[in-house]
Amino acid sequence: MEIDIEEAIDEILESVDVDRETVEKDLRKFLDYGVPLEHAKQAVINKYGSVVKEKKLKDIKVNERNIITVAKVIAIDEREVEVRGEKRKIYRGLLGDETAILPFTAWKDFGLQKGDVIKIRNASSSEWEGQPRLSLSEWSEVEKVDYDIDLIKRAPRKCNLIDLRPGLSNVEVRGKIIYIEERIVNIGGEERKVFSGIIADETGKVRFTAWHDFGLKEGDVIRIKGGYVRKWRGAPQLIFDENSEVEKIAEEIVVQETIVPLYKIVEAGGGIDLYMQGIILDVRKDSGIIFRCPKCNRRIRNGVCEEDGEVEGTPDLRIRALLDDGTGAVDVIFNRQISEKLLGKNMEEYLDIAKEAMDYSIVYEEIFDKLVAKPVKVKGDSMPSDFIVTIFAKDAEIVKIDEKKEAEELLMQLEG
Amino acid sequence: MREPAWRIFAAEYNDATHVIQSKEEKAPKYVITPLGAKVNRLFIVGVLTDVEEIGAEGIRRRARISDPTGIHVVYAEAFEPEIASILADMEIPSYIAVVGKTRIYEPEEGVLYLSARAEMAKEISIEERNYWIIEASRNMLIRINAMRDAMNMSNPTAKQLRGLGYPPIIAEGVAEAIKVYKDVDLQHYEIMLREALSFITSSRKEIKKNHEQEEEKVLKIIESLQSEDGAAWEAVIEEAIKEGIEKSVVEEVIVSLMEKGLIYEPQLGKLKVV
Repeated sequence: MEIDIEEAIDEILESVDVDRETVEKDLRKFLDYGVPLEHAKQAVINKYGSVVKEKKLKDIKVNERNIITVAKVIAIDEREVEVRGEKRKIYRGLLGDETAILPFTAWKDFGLQKGDVIKIRNASSSEWEGQPRLSLSEWSEVEKVDYDIDLIKRAPRKCNLIDLRPGLSNVEVRGKIIYIEERIVNIGGEERKVFSGIIADETGKVRFTAWHDFGLKEGDVIRIKGGYVRKWRGAPQLIFDENSEVEKIAEEIVVQETIVPLYKIVEAGGGIDLYMQGIILDVRKDSGIIFRCPKCNRRIRNGVCEEDGEVEGTPDLRIRALLDDGTGAVDVIFNRQISEKLLGKNMEEYLDIAKEAMDYSIVYEEIFDKLVAKPVKVKGDSMPSDFIVTIFAKDAEIVKIDEKKEAEELLMQLEG
Repeated sequence: MREPAWRIFAAEYNDATHVIQSKEEKAPKYVITPLGAKVNRLFIVGVLTDVEEIGAEGIRRRARISDPTGIHVVYAEAFEPEIASILADMEIPSYIAVVGKTRIYEPEEGVLYLSARAEMAKEISIEERNYWIIEASRNMLIRINAMRDAMNMSNPTAKQLRGLGYPPIIAEGVAEAIKVYKDVDLQHYEIMLREALSFITSSRKEIKKNHEQEEEKVLKIIESLQSEDGAAWEAVIEEAIKEGIEKSVVEEVIVSLMEKGLIYEPQLGKLKVV
């Protein structure tokens, strides 16, 4: 019993700012009156008002309230959400100290910037993907402090380039610089050099931006530890900076044409120089012969351009098709040249067919008949779109297989 | 996210007795097959064997599509009149491709009738049909392997299966299937798969090999029999059988000649050389 009381006193002292003697006196008084120890403990804490002590991030558990901590903003992103029909801006990111890194959500604008070291009071925690997430609400207090803190060294997560997803942080990748250019950008009145380009490994290619001069040049094979991934024009972009570790390595990387399952492209939201293979399951209604404005190249309808008024339209052939490989689905846009290759007919022939029938929809019908249910291999880049990941094809071909050989191989796998 | 279209053999799909749906509003329903396919949309390919009108208005259609393992039932609903008319106009038999959503009818607890509601229907070539059989087989083999891996785990989860390299949708489906289907008979599905594949390797081989010879023979028969409005279909078959061609092969050859545009059907039941 005495030991229990001593422990209770220690616990109370963690929460209140009163000397040990007073706490012990008060606690024993409650116990003498027959109040159970747990209640007595709480009663003493309530009497003096809980002074919450500062916590390290690793000690924060799920569903705590009244949290006080000091942490560094590692990453922060703004996004708009709808709460009960009302649009609100929230801020999400990562906070770190020397013990842990935790995700956070701020429900109001505390003016946080990446790199700020802040003291947070009255925050709460919830669960997110199995770990605690800090939540900064209207009632939380955030103040910047004038000292720096160390961050825990986590082992970065090794990724193939094709598996990079917007939102990932602390990744480790290796790849070959395919292209790099230097730019000067203006950030808050300060000019900074940034380097952007394309990096490739055996699985694919991705755009990158380096916020620090690592002396990189085309053809270098490098390993990057501590990069993170953002979304740019609908596709993942790898970012690394002075906090990342970049080293040149003596490895050969052979950039291949690896076919990427469509679910990966859908998960990533897009990408560049992607190779994919699937079956065309639909041809969208806006496919076929279209007319473009000779001045601005926009698509015109009924001889009228939204920008330039009544114009003599130039015909063009284009196809937007739904490509599905059984794991995912994307839209693919084929330009005139690729469309002609897939269809085995050129635009002039289609113009003649349409003129003879006095109906352009006949071209759509022929495209549908020719392409739907056909297996197609596509190379292309994603482009920003709202509803479905959309790929602009740079090349495409109808896939021909030796079905007997394929069937025999599958039978062999089945035996093995 | 658009649900992918599963290439799945009729027998595996029709064996399913489990449906899942998350609690969110308008959440999609998924049919979970014994091998762990998690199906909301299907890509069905096979031979159209039968189309019937259903319902009082006669706009709806029910079609049966035969693949090497069984029969997919496909509905064209009243709000998809174009698909109903495509089905009605298609010849029987012919090769068909359908994209459809799972259609689940559960008249009583534990009794499940599965079919598909067509979103797209189209006549296709035999090459496209064979390509589908290969894809459906390859996907089925992946699920058989995933299911076997899951059976060897003490407490299989989707995360563990993803760790082995299975795509998320297969990992999730297999983890769900192993909970509800006790002791899935993998051997049964392996035999099914073997039969589906030998459909391409063996039986097709001979027809393919003799194709050119038979085609030439049948062309000559039609030429010799045809009058102004063509040669009667039955007479052509009869004559071809006399020349030692099997009946089923004659039919294949006629279809193939029509596909190649060498013969056509000037009126129902008549054949004519172009």
